[in-house]
Amino acid sequence: MRKYWQIAKGRMQENTAYSAWYWAGTVSAVMRLLIIYFFWQAVYANQTTIQNINLETMLTYIVIAMLLQGFVGGVGNELAENIKDGQVAIELMRPYDMIFKLFAVDIGAKIMYLIQGTIPMVLIAYFFMDLSFPKSPETVLLFVVSALVGIWIGTFFDFLVGVLAFWTVNVWGVRVLKESLITFFSGALVPITLFPDWLRTITEFLPFQAMIYLPVSIYSGLISGTEAYMALGVQLFWLVSLYVLVRVIWSQAIKQITIFGG
Amino acid sequence: MRRYTRLYWEFAKSHMKVMMEYRIDFLIGVASVMLEQFASIFFVKVVFDHIEQINGWSFYEILFIYGIAATGRSIHQIFFDNLWTLGWQYIRPGKLDRLLIRPVNPLFHVVADRLHQDGFGQLIIGLIILGTAIPQLDLVWGAAEIAMLIIMIISSGLIFVAINLFFATFSFWMIDSLPIVWAVFNLSDFARYPLTIYHKGIRMFLTWIIPYGFTAFFPAAYFIDKSGYKEFALWTPVAAIVCCVLAYAFWNRGLKAFASTGS
Repeated sequence: MRKYWQIAKGRMQENTAYSAWYWAGTVSAVMRLLIIYFFWQAVYANQTTIQNINLETMLTYIVIAMLLQGFVGGVGNELAENIKDGQVAIELMRPYDMIFKLFAVDIGAKIMYLIQGTIPMVLIAYFFMDLSFPKSPETVLLFVVSALVGIWIGTFFDFLVGVLAFWTVNVWGVRVLKESLITFFSGALVPITLFPDWLRTITEFLPFQAMIYLPVSIYSGLISGTEAYMALGVQLFWLVSLYVLVRVIWSQAIKQITIFGG
Repeated sequence: MRRYTRLYWEFAKSHMKVMMEYRIDFLIGVASVMLEQFASIFFVKVVFDHIEQINGWSFYEILFIYGIAATGRSIHQIFFDNLWTLGWQYIRPGKLDRLLIRPVNPLFHVVADRLHQDGFGQLIIGLIILGTAIPQLDLVWGAAEIAMLIIMIISSGLIFVAINLFFATFSFWMIDSLPIVWAVFNLSDFARYPLTIYHKGIRMFLTWIIPYGFTAFFPAAYFIDKSGYKEFALWTPVAAIVCCVLAYAFWNRGLKAFASTGS
């Protein structure tokens, strides 16, 4: 009897560990909302607009960007783990395309995240923080499409970073590096229009702005009309390019495994 | 004491060897942490390109606050980072049981088990930030001020250590308290900005409950005397010592509870 009690207890403890992660995530997100809120309140204390952006639009931008950032990325970690522990060799022998399998797992995780993480955050943000809604149904639709494309660009990029685990030991460091690059260039912290000119130019040649800045700008009305459709075009370009890159690098990486395997 | 210093040195030497072995990884770690910190400073800089001050604080003053936090945190990250892994590397696989029968303080053993290379990136960026901010502040720097700054930074580091130790200790009851440690650690983001911008409740919380205010804002307020916190800032080292004592006492309790279940 005692034995089974131990097994049950172990299972319960494991489950609390997972739900603890969930709550920790929610608590941290609420805290970040608070910091953002008070920070921008203080910034706007002495002015009504910055670069023609008022407080309401700014907060809307930042909060939506923060929510979207939670979806950018995902497969890289699992892939890196699989590579590290050698699981990848077994995965490759299984009768499915490993890339698609990883993406499928990732989609599942993201749907869970949408239900558990995003919706509560949206509720909190809309109750306590006077955010604005998009002006028209067309904008909403454009935003949804743009956000989905942005998430896929992020996922492909994350995959490319995960593949690096074949060559580097410090996976954690690479991940932090990736996170910083995205935070830095994607416009997750502040609209890219506020960047100094030279930096904005660099940003336009990188895929990161297509992950967060473009969709969120469509949502908050910083980009509208034809510009919005052009933004979508830029995103599609990155989506296709990165997918091709994923395929090319993956086939190279597989050769690498074959060499290891002898 | 001498025995522990010698032991730590032996541990550290072997870490250094490993770090040098994996040089690229060492560099990735350092670079990644530096870029991470740089991103958040860059954010503040971009905002300040469009405004003069936030709540009366200038860019370099906020940079100074940030610099103290970053440098203090590097002490924690280099030497005590292993506390994060207490649950999944020690308690879950049963490694802690082996440590308990060794003639060394188990906390010392856990801490000395790893020097964290990425912390050096944190240290470098912290010093760069302080070096950038300090000349731009209208302050007189004598030996006393420098000594004070060093005391403040060490206190800041000790508070980071104490808070992490306290929440890592929960692992003794729940196997792995990493999510809690992580969530609490994220609170330190509040400390990047002057506490005066926050609601009073948050300010009280960050001063008396989870005292991240002492890791950056209060120490900085000692030097930048305009918030009326100069006197209060002198409590920083006391707060650091009190936090460490409390956290260590709590650790001992957790250890006892863990050992007596015999699992």
